[in-house]
Amino acid sequence: MNSDISIVALSLQIALVATAVTLPLGMFVAWLLVRKQFRGKFALDVFVSLPLALPPVVIGYALLWLVGTNGWVGQVSESLFGSTLAFTWIAAALAAAIVSLPLVVRSFSAALAGVDPRLEIAARGLGAGPVRTFLTITLPLAYRGVVAGALLGFVRALSEFGATIVVAGNIPGRTQTVPSAIFTRISAGDTDAAWRLALVSIVLGVIALGIHNWLLKRSSVSSNSSNGVTR
Amino acid sequence: MISFDVQLDRQEFSLDISGEFDNGITAVFGPSGAGKSTLLDCLAGTIRPTSGMVSLAGTTLFSSAEGTWVKPENRRIGTVYQDGALFPHLDVRKNIEFGWKFLQTADRRLNPLEIAEFLGLSHLLERRPSELSGGERQRVAIARALATSPALLLLDEPLASLDAARRGSILNYLKRVHSEFEMPMIYVSHSISEVVSVASKAVLLREGKVEGFDRPSALLLGAAAAGGDVDRFTNILDGVIGDSTDHLTTVMVGGVKISTRHQNKNLGEKVVVSLGANQIILAASEPQNLSARNILTGVVSEIWSNDDRVFTEVDVGQKFIVELTENALSELGIAVGHDVFLVFKSSSVDVFDA
Repeated sequence: MNSDISIVALSLQIALVATAVTLPLGMFVAWLLVRKQFRGKFALDVFVSLPLALPPVVIGYALLWLVGTNGWVGQVSESLFGSTLAFTWIAAALAAAIVSLPLVVRSFSAALAGVDPRLEIAARGLGAGPVRTFLTITLPLAYRGVVAGALLGFVRALSEFGATIVVAGNIPGRTQTVPSAIFTRISAGDTDAAWRLALVSIVLGVIALGIHNWLLKRSSVSSNSSNGVTR
Repeated sequence: MISFDVQLDRQEFSLDISGEFDNGITAVFGPSGAGKSTLLDCLAGTIRPTSGMVSLAGTTLFSSAEGTWVKPENRRIGTVYQDGALFPHLDVRKNIEFGWKFLQTADRRLNPLEIAEFLGLSHLLERRPSELSGGERQRVAIARALATSPALLLLDEPLASLDAARRGSILNYLKRVHSEFEMPMIYVSHSISEVVSVASKAVLLREGKVEGFDRPSALLLGAAAAGGDVDRFTNILDGVIGDSTDHLTTVMVGGVKISTRHQNKNLGEKVVVSLGANQIILAASEPQNLSARNILTGVVSEIWSNDDRVFTEVDVGQKFIVELTENALSELGIAVGHDVFLVFKSSSVDVFDA
């Protein structure tokens, strides 16, 4: 039981850090894709969405190469800290962030696209700079979609297995997450212990998706009521 | 005063417009796609022109030659959009105070609550935009722009989504805002009726170019040629309710008494009167024994004509635009300076709340 709690805690820690990365990055990418016209937009869209189409193992393998002794991230971290990130919980968080990024970008894009750009133009004309406009107009109008997207990214990070096990391994107490612990327990034939963690995953997933759907329903209701032209 | 000379080259559209507007209300009008809104975007800084210059009250806002570009948030130009573009998550008060909050204290020349009072919004401050009528929304949009103490107010088809009754009312508010706050305005519309009612000067645009810059009524024929909604030209005039009988109500318009159908309004109440230019009969001598309740004496002050249509402006103490045919004009032998009579039925006059 004790080890169950620490496994869940480590999983939550990894998923939270991954979400902390995808939240600003996903927002920036979504904003570029929805509001800006630029060369390479199509390529950016494809690149960010790629993790949806690839086996997670491939992402883990690419990431392992990047953070390993031969990759530039690995070389930088080795010269700074004396070791690479491979097989650490940080690598697991990175893997989870990359895998959940497409979902986050898609959700945020939908949320931003629901905000009438003329409101942003109006705010600029009233003296608000771009950052202020984003914080006072865009974000408040999109926040339900943003929170829902972040939540979706969080549960995806929580359930990440394929990329994580390649780049971070399955080291009990250091990089063993809920999915990799379940895998270990199934392999060892310890079905009761595997089911316990599986149940935790299911409960967390149901709660998160429930809130996600509730938020999106609320946001479509509120945008409908505010868009009526004349009564 | 704003002066500009802007060129914009886009695949689908090009614009080449220059002008210099004084501190009055200047209208920009023309058919859809003429470049009216695009011109406003260039002035407000929403679009960066390909080349040219924009200068407001002596400050250069854009100059391609000098590489000057002032961002929209620093231009001190207020804009009122067609459907208001109010912030749906903020109540009326927060909408009005939105831009005002960003001003330095010294620049807060106008008080948002006084503006709200002036525009008749004091009782709506706690409401959300979704709880307002179309006319109320436009008033909030005007108040929101005014509260930033702009040096210029741009109005982009502010009446387009309103019904006739609301239009007169908002036009009236705009005129009052102009005189009360000495606010220069550029008023974009595709309706020549609105333009004649509200503006002292007008620019007629067509396909991204200036076709005329004159007194609004002098552009009537040009508007017809450009495909404006001149077919339904309507005189829109301010009035005050006078005496009523069971069937008729008189409205004082300028110094002129007009009979209308009975109005459920009080003596002295301010109203807006609208009368189609094609609802008025022009007579060269005083008509007798008519059922029409309105016969006004006046002098022809202008005539604009081409082959298909004629507009005359008749001064009866208040200027009315009358539409007639070329045929009728030559048969009657009417010319500028002639005394004429305007005849119209009381039922042709629509009366709206001001």
